[in-house]
Amino acid sequence: MTIRIRDLAMTYPAAGAPAVRDVSLTIPDGAFYTLLGPSGCGKTTTLRCVAGLERPDAGEIAIGDETVFSSSDGVWVAPHDRNIGMVFQSYAIWPHMSVLENVAFPLRYRRPRPSRAETRERAMAALVLVRLDGFADRPAPNLSGGQQQRLALARALVAEPRVLLLDEPLSNLDAKLREEMRLELREMVRRLRVTTLFVTHEQIEALTMSDIVAVMKDGVIVQEGVPADIYGRPTQAFVADFIGKTNLLPGRVMARAGDGGLASIATPVGLLQCRLDGAFGVGDAVTLAVRPEHIALSAGAGEAGGPNAVAGEVAAVIYLGNLIECTVTVGTHLLRVQLHPSTPVARGARVQLALPIEHCLAMRH
Amino acid sequence: MLAIAAVACLCVVVLIATILWLSFTDGTPGDPQLGYTVAHYVDVLTDHFTWRVLGNTLVFLAVTLVVAFALALPIAWLVERTDFPGKPLVFTLMTVALLIPGFAVALGWLFLLHPRIGLVNQAVMAVFGLERAPFDISTIFGMGVVEGLSLTPITFIMIAVALRSMDPALEEAAAMSGARPLQAVLRVTLRVLSPALVAAAIYVAAICFAAFDVPAILGLTNRIFTFSTYVFRALTPTEGAPEYGGVATLGVIMLAIAALMSWGYRTVQRRAPRYAVVTGKAYRPRIAPLGRAKAPAVGFVAGYFLVSQALPLVMLAWASALPFLQTPSARAFASLSLGNFRSIPSELLMRIIGNTAILMVAVPTLTMIASFAMSWVVLRAKTRGAALVDFLAFLPVTVPPIVFSVAALLLALFVLRAVVPLYGTIWLLVIVYAVARLSYGTRMTNTALIQIHRELEEAAQMSGAGTAGVLRAVLLPLLAPTILYAWIWIALLSYRELTLPVVLATGANLPFSMLVWSYVQSSSYGRASAAALIMLTLMVPVLLLYWLAARRAGLIAPR
Repeated sequence: MTIRIRDLAMTYPAAGAPAVRDVSLTIPDGAFYTLLGPSGCGKTTTLRCVAGLERPDAGEIAIGDETVFSSSDGVWVAPHDRNIGMVFQSYAIWPHMSVLENVAFPLRYRRPRPSRAETRERAMAALVLVRLDGFADRPAPNLSGGQQQRLALARALVAEPRVLLLDEPLSNLDAKLREEMRLELREMVRRLRVTTLFVTHEQIEALTMSDIVAVMKDGVIVQEGVPADIYGRPTQAFVADFIGKTNLLPGRVMARAGDGGLASIATPVGLLQCRLDGAFGVGDAVTLAVRPEHIALSAGAGEAGGPNAVAGEVAAVIYLGNLIECTVTVGTHLLRVQLHPSTPVARGARVQLALPIEHCLAMRH
Repeated sequence: MLAIAAVACLCVVVLIATILWLSFTDGTPGDPQLGYTVAHYVDVLTDHFTWRVLGNTLVFLAVTLVVAFALALPIAWLVERTDFPGKPLVFTLMTVALLIPGFAVALGWLFLLHPRIGLVNQAVMAVFGLERAPFDISTIFGMGVVEGLSLTPITFIMIAVALRSMDPALEEAAAMSGARPLQAVLRVTLRVLSPALVAAAIYVAAICFAAFDVPAILGLTNRIFTFSTYVFRALTPTEGAPEYGGVATLGVIMLAIAALMSWGYRTVQRRAPRYAVVTGKAYRPRIAPLGRAKAPAVGFVAGYFLVSQALPLVMLAWASALPFLQTPSARAFASLSLGNFRSIPSELLMRIIGNTAILMVAVPTLTMIASFAMSWVVLRAKTRGAALVDFLAFLPVTVPPIVFSVAALLLALFVLRAVVPLYGTIWLLVIVYAVARLSYGTRMTNTALIQIHRELEEAAQMSGAGTAGVLRAVLLPLLAPTILYAWIWIALLSYRELTLPVVLATGANLPFSMLVWSYVQSSSYGRASAAALIMLTLMVPVLLLYWLAARRAGLIAPR
């Protein structure tokens, strides 16, 4: 079911600054929508407002055709009446219940309440879904971290909720398990076609799992789009920097052609060319972003040749296994470059860097 | 939940407001011509005797603190940081000692060291042919020593908890820097613990300031007062009618001093947050081997228990079996009998046991319901006024019991008389006991509720459970061990309580402790001992229950 949020605003009583302001978004039916951002950006608050665990100050939230919150109409639906499945960061598995009792719990509050036999049947089906059917009668605390996580998912899905909320569900798992669960979770949600709102601060989770990603900062959504656009076409320095590694160069527009044409930007590493849309004029301050994996490095000193070529000296080389990351001093500025591990490069070497025009993205600060 | 918390808050506010109000009234309360005056404050503060009592109380406090710390500090260090044998037993005995009524122990000391009837005095005088008794327990100093011995267990527990929550890496770093064990203790352990120790000292001082049992049993007949017995004497003068305004004024002054102490406690504790709470992190401290010092160490700890608890209780048993107190001799053994036990009217005994049973069931039940409601409002309900509820829940621990009982008496006699006839019923005691235990109860429910991850409740909400469902399905089952533990503890405290009923109990609503008290008042020491002994015996099964509950709640974990 569609989730629609309009002009959501909320300030915690103890805090001065608003946790969320003017957040508006629409999650299409069956989509996997991710709120991504650093801690304190308001992503969890937004999710908790949808859940009904926080009461916003203003705005409107609708799930399907039902408005669950509206400040102007005074609508408020209590969380237990919203029919939402939710997986918590701590999993929130009740330690005094068995695995089966945990899963069956939401069914006890469905109206009409299913019979005992049906409750058991549906709970077992949910456990089968997450491959925990062999653990039904175990005390819940005896499960491992990954199993608890799957149990939490089964409990969130058992009552066939209208939407699913995931609050950093993978953050408590170790790295390897997290990678497995990422795929598993995504596959399961896709199969069930349940509308999902996912909150994370891990860009890799956002990029690999989502249909749509919204990047949040200081309580507002700064960019929304499909993962490839968020990574490849960031519109703000913050997004470029937060998602993946990137080199940010402060600059000023020196000369420009028409809309979408080439422009010259003065930067600390020299004059660089990039494509610029009509919003910028000569003299405007811009930030150029270039991802380290897009910069080409070639050995040798001498004057730079070709468009966007600069000369520098290798300041540090870090071997990362699948690639080499090196820092190159160009003038007074440091540029990060990622290279194939077989590339011969040594500290102190004079090198040439090429910054491809199509990968130099100009954006406002 | 909100309503329960509000009623509990109201009880606290009304009790304290009553005593404040009456301290400014002139004449008999209930009189329509009641006037307002500050004369009581002027009278009390210009009275020479008030200042003498205050001086007495300070000496009493000092002696108590010195005795309690001199014993508790070494014992806590032995148990927590050395290979002292039988540590669980020490914890068990300390907990039991915490619950043995102070008046029973004080009575035992009276039989040992009273200048006239004390056995030690009699024996020493006979052997050395002395004219005068060499020892006198009925002095401020004697009272301080006895109080110090009986407050050692609580001091011990506070220090042991602080020691346990201290990161032993601090001591290890001292050792690696070349400090010998004793230097490490003096230079690092004690310094790091000093905020916790100061907090413990203020806490113990506050208990001591409010103490009634020991000073009452040992000092009242000799007119040696501490502040709490002075308030009691003012309320029950040996001749004439009490001046209620004056009593209320003394109560307010006592309340102010106690409030000052608890403010000091909170300040110190807040400044040492790391040591004030058990971190829950399982530290594994270095255990110092005692070696040849083991035997003296065991002797020291055993000696404490023998002298402070066993000896007085043996004296109690001895006195209970004799028609009058005498030193052990052939004649004394020949006169041993159960006469004292038989002379307690069984009809009276049954009624008193009935009253005590009501108290032991109703008080903890009421306290825990109110405490849970208050904790829930403070920690979970997003209501304004949560801070006020928190403050009011903390307030009763500040109020000395004698002030509570005076406030409740005045309230029942002069304010509520027309509306609800509570005076003389057991329910007055139930309510006052419960209000007095609110701080303890909320502290337990607060701690337990904080440990329950909020998401456990939110998950139930998202599963469709409303507030009642969340409480029934998630919170109460998870809190059950703590609630049960605190319930039994409060039942035990209600059993041994003397200060509250000494003012409030009349013929019909006497609890057990008052039976002992009234025999002491009429100098029937044999019967008082017999009654105290019955009381201690009946306590044993409840103690066992407590032990089981505490183990289940994971609250007893001596290494």
